[in-house]
Amino acid sequence: MDKPPGEDGRQVSRRNLLKSAVSASSVTLIPLATSSCSTPIQPSGLVISAEARVILETFVDRIIPADDNGPGALDAGVIFYINNALANWNSNETDMLVEGLFNLARASRRRYDKEFSLLPNANKDALLRDMEDGKIEGFANSTQVFNRLHRLTLEGMFSDPYYGGNQDYAGWDLIGYPGAVMSSTPDMQRMGSRLPPLHTSAYGSDYDGD
Amino acid sequence: MAINLPETDVVVVGLGAAGGVAVLPLTRAGLNVIGLEAGTWMNPGTDYHADEIHNNVRALVTTGNKVAGEIPTVRRSPTETAVQQARHPMMNAVGGTSIHYHAQSWRFNPWDFRVRSATLERYGAGYLPEGTTLEDWPVSYDDLEPYYDLVEYAVGVSGVAGNIQGVINPEGNIFEGPRRRDYPMPPLRSCDFLDRMAEAARAIGYHPYHAPAAINSGVYDGRPGCQFHGYCDRGGCHVRAKNSTDVSTIPKALATGNLTVTDNANVRRIESDNTGKVNGVTYIRDGEEYFQPARAVLLGCYTYENIRLLLLSRSGFYPDGLGNNRGQVGRNYFGHWDVQAGASVTALFPVDLNIWYGAIAQRVIVDDWADDNFDHAGLGFIGGATISVSTEKHPIGSAAMSTFDKVDRRWGSAWKAFIRENAGRTASTYIQTSTFPYEHTWADLDPNVRDPFGDPVLRLTQGAKRNEPMAAAYAGEKMEAWFRAAGATDIINTGGGRGPSLSTHAHGGTRMGNDPGTNVCDNYGFSFEARNLGIIGGSVMPTVGARNPTQTLQALAWRTAQHLVDDWNGITA
Repeated sequence: MDKPPGEDGRQVSRRNLLKSAVSASSVTLIPLATSSCSTPIQPSGLVISAEARVILETFVDRIIPADDNGPGALDAGVIFYINNALANWNSNETDMLVEGLFNLARASRRRYDKEFSLLPNANKDALLRDMEDGKIEGFANSTQVFNRLHRLTLEGMFSDPYYGGNQDYAGWDLIGYPGAVMSSTPDMQRMGSRLPPLHTSAYGSDYDGD
Repeated sequence: MAINLPETDVVVVGLGAAGGVAVLPLTRAGLNVIGLEAGTWMNPGTDYHADEIHNNVRALVTTGNKVAGEIPTVRRSPTETAVQQARHPMMNAVGGTSIHYHAQSWRFNPWDFRVRSATLERYGAGYLPEGTTLEDWPVSYDDLEPYYDLVEYAVGVSGVAGNIQGVINPEGNIFEGPRRRDYPMPPLRSCDFLDRMAEAARAIGYHPYHAPAAINSGVYDGRPGCQFHGYCDRGGCHVRAKNSTDVSTIPKALATGNLTVTDNANVRRIESDNTGKVNGVTYIRDGEEYFQPARAVLLGCYTYENIRLLLLSRSGFYPDGLGNNRGQVGRNYFGHWDVQAGASVTALFPVDLNIWYGAIAQRVIVDDWADDNFDHAGLGFIGGATISVSTEKHPIGSAAMSTFDKVDRRWGSAWKAFIRENAGRTASTYIQTSTFPYEHTWADLDPNVRDPFGDPVLRLTQGAKRNEPMAAAYAGEKMEAWFRAAGATDIINTGGGRGPSLSTHAHGGTRMGNDPGTNVCDNYGFSFEARNLGIIGGSVMPTVGARNPTQTLQALAWRTAQHLVDDWNGITA
């Protein structure tokens, strides 16, 4: 990790956006975990198109934006988590969610005559509120799609970095979860103040997301 | 054609929480036992992880190969078409569900064994819940006490006794029945948050104590104490401190030399002869069908599969299923969590609680509103609930928590600021009620949904309960008052409201009792009809207390197995 999370979220964000741009064009493989894991995350190329990915990136960026409270979902590599999930464990949802992303983009063009990713944040958020509330014409399952993408965004942000998200432990630092340990001491259960970050994965010391 | 194997003394179907205990008294008595288990051995070093995605989100420890194909269907009433649920709450493995359970290990209160007669004595017939098929257990607390003790020492349970031979210890549960001696281990370590909650409870007149757990608080039986890493719920223990039967009683039974564990064995039928006695079990392993003859069979699957296997095992003698000539198999089913029998309460504190680590069984609990520990006159329900708090918060669950109406959306910068401040400051708990059987709730075979072998899956019909949600609501208010006394600033009480569902605490369906007209098993857990068939597990329980059922069904399983040993000639004649 080259910088404490939260100090300069924008810089982290650019770095990861660059990384994601590279993977979008060259189908970068997600690194495999240590061999001790019984459920290896299969390296997977992108299971959604570049067009859908841009919409998804905008979505997760508004769910957990980078701001004064630290890096956001894009910085934390939530896209990698969701891509892995849609390629493997959650693959039965991929079609529904991609269709939902395109419905969101269509609603943006219809309402604002602009791509969703290019809207001012206030307009993006207004659309997302309507999506969550089921108020977008021609998008009957918008609430369901929102809830699932919202859930996957949280999973990506706050799961072990082994799964591709929570890079640099950005998610765990945000909520004050120190890290996965094999053993905790009584001191680690003392009330009163935030525990210092440990930045440890359940799958070994290499999993800081880089 | 099935391959015929040599006869053995006893086949135990399922080596989980119940079967994994029953094999110990059988093999120690010198009987040859074959344990047929649908799963295989787990490897703590490679199968278990400190990982919320693995354990909780994707349920990869709990998702077994066999149960995934036989998930029951549920409905509210006979007029509905039952819907198959997404996930089976149980797993297949040597050790079964004791691998991933919370390991909260309880004796029931003496009242639990005689709810019907105790209610009639104290409140009168008008207090029995409408439509209940409640009967007293055919065993009393005193009957079961020796077996509770055997289980606590053979499995390994940590806790603080509240009543040793009538001497009350206020550090323990002052409402518990008398026990012959202390637990084999002191309770799991406490922590700041639990200490604060215990202190607050005492300040408002409650009687808190540290909950017992089938988890080592120190070295026991050569295995280490709990490491409190915070991934016990639905995860196996990486250091084998959780006393699942695959690391406790099954190895002890194997050490006798009298137990053969046959893993990956998919039991399809229990066979019976034309006199009604069972004579063995048919199972499939690696695509090959086997018949394993036995002098006696103990059926020890999870409640759902115990019921289903009996209903599937039809014969000339048992046209409606094994031991079901009186139509009682599947009756008197009840889940701890079905139809809003549970409720959850979440509290926000103005301080970091640091309960990320710990264990779900690292817990302080209060019995004041459980069982019949308080006067129910005028309340309109019987029974009650335990209320408790524990440690072990997971990051995704904590981030996805209630926002207590403090931000208008659960996303965006305002929400992010809220969880940054508060994700580590909430404690969530559930209300666990005593639960009873009803005429409107039962299990049978689903007419539409089948498993990969073409056999019907189980169908659960669950009518709405009135009594249990009232008990949960009453105890929920006590929980709210407790959180407030400890300094919580905001509280969300969901008040239950679950629809019909599968349960990790499923009971009844092969109920034990004194009356063969309304029960499947006798007072030792043996079928009234197939006399050399014993049934063990939650399916025999007539009621469930306001607490987790595993140790009680383990004590019953030990007692059933011991009875088979003691009356071997009579039972197998």
